[in-house]
Amino acid sequence: MFNLIKMNLYRMTRAVSTWVLVIVIAAFGMLQFGTLKLMMDDPFNMFDGAGTSLIGTETMTGTDTVSTFLQNSNILIIVSIFIVIFANAEQKSGFDKNIIGITKHRWKHTLARWISAVIGMTALLIIGYFVMFALCALFLNSFTIGSVTAILRSAGLMYIGMIAFSGLFFFFTTLFKSSAGGIVASLIVSLGILNLIEMLLDLLTKKFISNPRFVPSDFCLDNVVMSFKHASAGTKTILGFVALCLVYLVLTIGGSMLLQQRRDVK
Amino acid sequence: MDYILTTNELTKTYGKYKAANEVSIHVQRGGIYGLIGRNGAGKTTLMKMIGGLSRPTSGHFEIHGRNGETTEQMMPKVGILIEAPGLYPNMTAMQNLTTKAIAVGIHDKKYLQGLLEEVGLADTGKKKAKQFSLGMKQRLGIAMALVNQPELLILDEPINGLDPQGIAEMRAILHHLCNDRGITILISSHILDELSKVATQYGIIHEGRLLEEESKEELFSKCCERLELRTSDIGKTMEILGLMGFSKMEVKDDAINIYERLNESGAITVALAKANIQTNEIAVKSEALEDYYFQLTGGKENV
Repeated sequence: MFNLIKMNLYRMTRAVSTWVLVIVIAAFGMLQFGTLKLMMDDPFNMFDGAGTSLIGTETMTGTDTVSTFLQNSNILIIVSIFIVIFANAEQKSGFDKNIIGITKHRWKHTLARWISAVIGMTALLIIGYFVMFALCALFLNSFTIGSVTAILRSAGLMYIGMIAFSGLFFFFTTLFKSSAGGIVASLIVSLGILNLIEMLLDLLTKKFISNPRFVPSDFCLDNVVMSFKHASAGTKTILGFVALCLVYLVLTIGGSMLLQQRRDVK
Repeated sequence: MDYILTTNELTKTYGKYKAANEVSIHVQRGGIYGLIGRNGAGKTTLMKMIGGLSRPTSGHFEIHGRNGETTEQMMPKVGILIEAPGLYPNMTAMQNLTTKAIAVGIHDKKYLQGLLEEVGLADTGKKKAKQFSLGMKQRLGIAMALVNQPELLILDEPINGLDPQGIAEMRAILHHLCNDRGITILISSHILDELSKVATQYGIIHEGRLLEEESKEELFSKCCERLELRTSDIGKTMEILGLMGFSKMEVKDDAINIYERLNESGAITVALAKANIQTNEIAVKSEALEDYYFQLTGGKENV
């Protein structure tokens, strides 16, 4: 298992797509900084985009950068592209034929691939966030780091959400056995198209179920993670958030492992 | 007999279609087992099941006498190259080898360099796999299959699409692996003539079923050159041939097939004439492996 993870990391560092995405996410970090700077300098010119929740505030803290960076559909798109390309490369190149047979527990390959993908995703997020954070610290007059504990808490919670997303994207790729299928499904989630469906589901539920406390979108990962108020959430909300992420993770990674275990290699 | 691999009624079905139907093969250790069959005959399916890429619907197989499906430690002793080699196109030959080597826990660069030398790719340097010719890719595929130091190498159509030079190089590699390293090879190919130059054992598979399994000697005795003799009296002819010292002969239909001293047709004719036996036809005939295959599988229309 450890060898498989090492193998996946080896090929990850030698894949052109990885380095392209490193550049993309660093550029995204800069873009986020640019957007924030524009907004802080002249908030009335801002009508959309990242950080709109900060309009009207005079200072920006480290925890604000977490939500600006991680609660952004663009970051989900980058993550989904990375996960899908990485998860599918072995099958696309046919390399899986060289290694699947070395163990009868094929699910180990899936788990190792996902763990490696999460390591890669983490590195990407750190690079992008660091670029944005550093630029904010250097060039944004109204920026104060604030409580480091609060930053770590927010970043940790959002990271859990990102891991759950990685499982979802990974599952799509495994299910469709192609980059195209995986990317389309992942983009539907990342671009918020799923939100529309969830909204309709909420309306339908309201009409037919009398319990006002039951809202289906409260159990939808994209809705929960992207709107999670990590800085102000209480313990109960946090536990609910983490539990939901874990449920998604178990279902998606478990499903991917099961699919790999049962499927023949083409 | 020392078998490295035996399959016992190995079957794979896709819906109602039986891609492999109760196939039982017996691969002798140290030899090259040639699997002959047309497209869709079930060769790849069989090899995938043995290589752990596909699960048998029923039946089982044994490697070193241990159940191949359930004995995990047996699988690392199998190297596999199914259809096109699975390579990362943006990696060099060494990087591709290293990727697999890491997965199987081998960290010896010298060993990997040795593998590249064995397959004639030692000087490819930083050239990426996507820039390789088909022959180079196939050879790298074999090197990949050898990374885990297998005792059994499964090669599915490794000479497909290669030019004569590539085929000759591949043949040399196979002989080297079998004779010098003692690796048993299970190989499939459409190019029967080429297969006949390397294989020591044959399995003929058709429509998912194994039709025949025989040694090189057995198969070649069916395909080899012979003197085909037709006379007015077959019984007396056999007596005379016996007196002349012929022993490797048989009566088939209305002809006598003689498998030795093929250049003595003149002496035979004279001897028969002295005994007042009329020679209707005497000719050297041969049946190629291909002809034999067609005959076995129901004719050329099946190809």
